[in-house]
Amino acid sequence: MEKIKQNPIVKKIGFNRIVLICVLILMYLLFCLSTGGKFAGLPRILSALNYAYFLGFLSLGVTFVIATGGIDFSIGPVMFCSALISGYCLTSLKVPMVLALLISILVGLCFGIFNGYLVAYWSVPPFIVSMASMNIAKGVASVFTKTQSVSWPQAADGGWFRKLVKIGNFPMGLIILIVAAIICACLLNKTKAGRYILCLGSNREAVRLSGVNTKKWEMLAYVICGILVGIAAIFFVGAYTTVQPGYGDQYNNEAIAGCVMGGTSMAGGLASISGTLIGVLIIALLQEGILALGFTKDYQLIITGVIVIVAVYADVVARRRKN
Amino acid sequence: MGEVILTMNDIDKSFPGVHALDHVHFDVQRGEVHALMGENGAGKSTLMKVLTGIYTKDSGTIEFEGREVEFHNAREAQDAGVVIVHQELNMVGHLTVAQNIFIGREFKKGVKIDDKRMNEEAAKLFKRLNIDIDPTATMSDLTVGKQQMCEIAKAISHEAKVIVFDEPSAALTESEIQELFKIIRDLREQNLGIVYISHRMDEIKVITDRVTVMRDGGYVGTLITKDCTKDDIINMMVGRVIYEEPKTKSMVPEDAPVVLKVEHLNAGKMVQDVSFELRKGEILGFSGLMGAGRTETARAIFGADSKESGDIYVNGKKVTINSPEDAVKAGIGYLSEDRKRFGIVVRKTIAENSTLASLDRFMKGIFIDKKKENEITQKYVDSLATKTPSIDQLVVNLSGGNQQKVVIAKWLVRDCEILIFDEPTRGIDVGAKNEIYKLMNRLAAEGKSIIMISSEMTEILRMSDRIIVMCEGKVTGEIGIEEVSQEKIMTLATRDIQ
Repeated sequence: MEKIKQNPIVKKIGFNRIVLICVLILMYLLFCLSTGGKFAGLPRILSALNYAYFLGFLSLGVTFVIATGGIDFSIGPVMFCSALISGYCLTSLKVPMVLALLISILVGLCFGIFNGYLVAYWSVPPFIVSMASMNIAKGVASVFTKTQSVSWPQAADGGWFRKLVKIGNFPMGLIILIVAAIICACLLNKTKAGRYILCLGSNREAVRLSGVNTKKWEMLAYVICGILVGIAAIFFVGAYTTVQPGYGDQYNNEAIAGCVMGGTSMAGGLASISGTLIGVLIIALLQEGILALGFTKDYQLIITGVIVIVAVYADVVARRRKN
Repeated sequence: MGEVILTMNDIDKSFPGVHALDHVHFDVQRGEVHALMGENGAGKSTLMKVLTGIYTKDSGTIEFEGREVEFHNAREAQDAGVVIVHQELNMVGHLTVAQNIFIGREFKKGVKIDDKRMNEEAAKLFKRLNIDIDPTATMSDLTVGKQQMCEIAKAISHEAKVIVFDEPSAALTESEIQELFKIIRDLREQNLGIVYISHRMDEIKVITDRVTVMRDGGYVGTLITKDCTKDDIINMMVGRVIYEEPKTKSMVPEDAPVVLKVEHLNAGKMVQDVSFELRKGEILGFSGLMGAGRTETARAIFGADSKESGDIYVNGKKVTINSPEDAVKAGIGYLSEDRKRFGIVVRKTIAENSTLASLDRFMKGIFIDKKKENEITQKYVDSLATKTPSIDQLVVNLSGGNQQKVVIAKWLVRDCEILIFDEPTRGIDVGAKNEIYKLMNRLAAEGKSIIMISSEMTEILRMSDRIIVMCEGKVTGEIGIEEVSQEKIMTLATRDIQ
């Protein structure tokens, strides 16, 4: 085992990532076998990818927050809030499509600023802030849309934004998600912002006492998260068209599960964007697989819940061993 | 002295990068006070943590009352009768004295806590120890000395057979120390085995029966206290290390300009009207008892904690410092006493830590210039002789001394003119300690100005050009190195304590 870990190629890619990719492939094969081959083929894969796009953006966003040692439980409802407000502007207020998409990102950004400011400058615990803004997001969306669901237009009715998700059978969304992930990885690993975010997640006081304005950088992590959540909303409606007010909580867990499974530590300071991406693919495939096996949505909730606990526990154990 | 109650044989313990205990031998007899001595980082605390199960040993045996034992946590050790009175007091401030003593094993009347009985039991304990403390008093209202007595009472209440005192006198005044010694003598009469850890040579001669000396994690030897001299002990402690020559006169030129001037600084109870000047190329020692307000003063100057009033001048210009960011911009660097909490980012590399305070200088557009970062880091790893396989090593894997060098490198990369070193050699092994001394002298000779806070008297006397003494948040005196003595410092350090 140690020998495999020390292999230069394995080291370069990262042992954890190789394990995750193996899990992903094994899971796919398992679903194919247990459904008697019905799971194999493009339609199921595309369906799983539809799920992976919006979840991927959520998960990338929350990776930045978790890297600071914080947490954001508002991402799912904020995504819905973004999709509802921008969709309402598009369908009822007749704003142009481009503007609607920008509004979606803007709503996410606003929540990011709100969360980040309270956490960084007022020192309100992230758990509390995000729980509260989760409810605020739901409430704002309901008030804005008068508790009506919003349906975004189909591709045929001028819904050109759907091409962001899929062009024919070509998974355009996957390309965009990967490009976004590469940008996020650069941001996290190569820029000053990313360096400070990771360092303050590991030891906030030491970074502050090095003369760094930790509040500013901590807030930035939430802002980045907010923008990505706004983008996630576009991919959600791009795949599923209709959004209903009052929902979105279940995606919190799924996004956090993807992120933690990918090797980002809940204690902060350690984050892997590529890990998050693979983690999201696993979660998305799992959701699709559970339905294909004939279980109801309730089982998805149970299984994702268990995954979050197992992934976080694995991280706790790994850290304890290191200390 | 009587039969041996506790024997630690061939104890070995390693941490990543450090051989903390190298086959150490130690034993305690009933009715003796056994001093455990050694410089910072010699392994005394580690040995005691192995004894009480806080660390697990890699090899060796512990025999207690004739049986081989292995405690898995402090609770098990306590139940068997081995108790530590820690240097840092573990008391819950808002509870009463009695509640603190019986915490975790409260007397109950049904489901209700029986405070009356706890107060009575506590009173009995105090009577046995001949100390005068009201069991119903709130813990945070007591002086540090009294709190320490409570800690001892708590230890005794566990039916202790062996009590370890870990630097009990660090925060005590002279009269409190006398009271402590009286208690320790009583305990010795009652046939308990007592381990006494201290840096103060005078105390060792007064209170202990035997001395065991450790150095660099190894066992050096055990002496009968009354048959040896202070010098014997010091030689055993220091061993082969040749220290920097102690200063006999200030190395600062007469005309050296004042680089830092602090006037009437106030920040809470611990910093009251502090004023002083620091000159170019000077090492200014800050001495005082634990809790004298030295660290608080440093943190207030550095902007780490808020201050109420006071002016700070750097190079004659008044500066406003409201955060560490402001302080660093003004050219001040702060090396914290608590390296793990405030100094290093443990799960990051040496390079990432070294450039943390000056990242702006390593930017190429929006990206960090890793090549330049690595070059500069390597330069400081070489010049400070930091021992590491590579600059990509995580700081957590370095020994204490090398971690300290990484923190120093951080401020040198930033090119700070004023450096505040708060307990720079705490938790560092003896060899590395001297390297830090050399480095500080070199920096001062190069024109950097250093404030050195230290609780080690020898360090203060060896390194400082001038010494400021604090007591209870106030500056009580200033002594040049030419006329300083340990007694003068101690008098000033306890001047305001009743």
